[in-house]
Amino acid sequence: MTVMICRCEDITEEEILEAISQGYTEIEPLKRRLRIGMGQCQGKTCIPLVERILARERCKKPEDMDEPTARPPSRQVSFGLLAGDRDE
Amino acid sequence: MTDYKETGILSLDDIKKPSEDRLKKGPVVVIECVENIPCDPCVAACPKDAISMDEITDIPSIDFDGCIGCALCVTECPGLAIFVVDCTSDPCTITVPYEYLPVPEKGEKVFALDREGKRVQVSKVVRVRSSGKTYGITLEVDRENIWKVRGLEVKR
Amino acid sequence: MEDKRIREHPVLEFERGHEIHFDFEGEEVKAYKGETIAAALYANGLVKFTESKHHHRPRGFFCAIGKCSSCIMTVNGIPHVRTCVTPVEEGMKVKRHGALPEFPKEVPPSSPEAKESKVDIAVVGGGPAGLSAAIIAAQHGADVHLFDEGDHQGGQLVKQTHQFFGSHLEEAGTRGIDLAEDLLREAKKAGVNLHPGTTVLGYYPEKTLAVESKNGLEIYHTKGIVYATGAVENYLAFENNDLPGIYGAGGVQTLMNEYGIIPGEKVLMIGSGNVGLIVGYQLLQAGVDVVEVIEAMPNFGGYQVHASKLRRAGVPISTAHTIKKALGTDRVEGAVVHVLDEDWQPVPGTERELECDVICIAVGLHPDNQFVRQAGAEMKYVRELGGFVPIRTEDMETTVEGVFVAGDSAGIEEATVAALEGKLVGCALVERLFGTSDEISDMKEDIKAGIEQMRKGPYGEYPRRGVKLCTLDEEVC
Repeated sequence: MTVMICRCEDITEEEILEAISQGYTEIEPLKRRLRIGMGQCQGKTCIPLVERILARERCKKPEDMDEPTARPPSRQVSFGLLAGDRDE
Repeated sequence: MTDYKETGILSLDDIKKPSEDRLKKGPVVVIECVENIPCDPCVAACPKDAISMDEITDIPSIDFDGCIGCALCVTECPGLAIFVVDCTSDPCTITVPYEYLPVPEKGEKVFALDREGKRVQVSKVVRVRSSGKTYGITLEVDRENIWKVRGLEVKR
Repeated sequence: MEDKRIREHPVLEFERGHEIHFDFEGEEVKAYKGETIAAALYANGLVKFTESKHHHRPRGFFCAIGKCSSCIMTVNGIPHVRTCVTPVEEGMKVKRHGALPEFPKEVPPSSPEAKESKVDIAVVGGGPAGLSAAIIAAQHGADVHLFDEGDHQGGQLVKQTHQFFGSHLEEAGTRGIDLAEDLLREAKKAGVNLHPGTTVLGYYPEKTLAVESKNGLEIYHTKGIVYATGAVENYLAFENNDLPGIYGAGGVQTLMNEYGIIPGEKVLMIGSGNVGLIVGYQLLQAGVDVVEVIEAMPNFGGYQVHASKLRRAGVPISTAHTIKKALGTDRVEGAVVHVLDEDWQPVPGTERELECDVICIAVGLHPDNQFVRQAGAEMKYVRELGGFVPIRTEDMETTVEGVFVAGDSAGIEEATVAALEGKLVGCALVERLFGTSDEISDMKEDIKAGIEQMRKGPYGEYPRRGVKLCTLDEEVC
């Protein structure tokens, strides 16, 4: 049974629950463990679902959850754009 | 209030109906809009100021005696919730908003549908009005069906 | 190959460019100039775009507006291209890629040094909020630059084929598509510098933006930034929820109303807010069968008038229902739904199977405000506004000086409020740049009154309450 949560990094609900049971009970460590929210969409799709799972498993309200840090770049960037051969 | 928030179907008790006397005098508007939503194009559409509201979220208040049944509001309502019934002709007619293809032609026989999309009777189209891409289609319906018919399905 | 393009539509006319051809996995595919790669593939019945990296699950597009990145493919040797926002070109070579795409064989093309410019105002997002802010600021003499990822601006207005609600003084009764054109025309007239097909990559200190344009990397130093980045559709957790054929309502709208391509033959709509009800109706208008609308709550969420349109067309709306799983292996072939009891638990024995090839998810939106967070703005979770939103002043300035928000990125409401908030921000920026005037303060009062009007009534209760929770009483800074 596959319930997909993070489409970009291909992480299922089962994998998230397993990580939570291993002690990854905050959004930041969970993100580092599974790469959820670190794929191409930068968490736009999965983070609200992950927050909901975390809140449910920890018997908290979504209001009390933290948001992951946002850093640039917000989109995938080509190597060419940032480090293309600039020697004429 | 009925259970329309479960079913999506208004009952006759939810709707303000013109009196039998008024129905005898000529075509008249029926507005099936029962919630306080922020919307008022019907007020602006009426040339006789027969539709009014104080606040934009009010339910449209209708002056049935002021209404001339012109049906200009039918095609202006974004909710497609306005109809015009005319019981002075035999058979009666009802004007319904319509935004599908194909658009029926005058004289064409179509299925008249109720609020659940069920076929009520076969009706002749007697008039096709349009404003932009919204049509107001006037159908002949039997007297007993004027409170039932609210849509149409082209037979072709 | 099949062709899912709509040829006749009761409201829309699709102006397609000339016919072009491109290569998909060695097969020639027909497209029309102006279509995106994803739209063109979909039109030809090709719904599986890629494979997921660990579980090797088939993937199609989801959001269709460049937000979710579900549609990435290798285009002309470059991996990770978002095909839903990339226009198709003659002779293009498009390939699926799995876990790790092939590294590009050629050295990346030279890109010139980043061009740096100093401008007055940068607006991110070309929907009703962004355009409205840009217009007011430009009309009063500001040098305004508006960035949008899409090739054409207008945001989500361009796919709104229904007449808008709201006050007739605020363009109610007008269709979104026409509103978008009006706003664009006004923006051009006012001298807004429009940058379509341009992606903002990040916020850097002192109101600086890094932008990827068609010419390469560009840096904009600004005196004020407006984030009008809109919203992202909420995703839903159920078995097989990533099969091709499961799309966000916005994705369905984009495909159907912007590109004139039907998403499928039989659609199950999940969610009965106004978005679900309106998209359901638009599907019917495009000639698609809507098999059912299901809603987890005991009542449907949108306006009765929208629900009545669907009911009149014979579409059932089942409240207290949810989806258990999607059926199918490579794409959606059906769904299993069941009844929910008062504690949101499945009622045994109520499972039923529905035949459908598309499952449309319309379970709400959440604000897209990564950039505001990057800028360091203070955020707060406000359920009534769809999730985390920036704390703001009455003029929509965040806790970072000179960084403003407008529209759905500030909290989920609807297009009229978004446009009004944009105007308000435009006024605030004019005041910031050139000082205040009677004209501007009067305008602000009118706009604020207009927003208040739109938030009246029972349907305005949520935003009313939500906005109170995140708006500062007095001006900061």
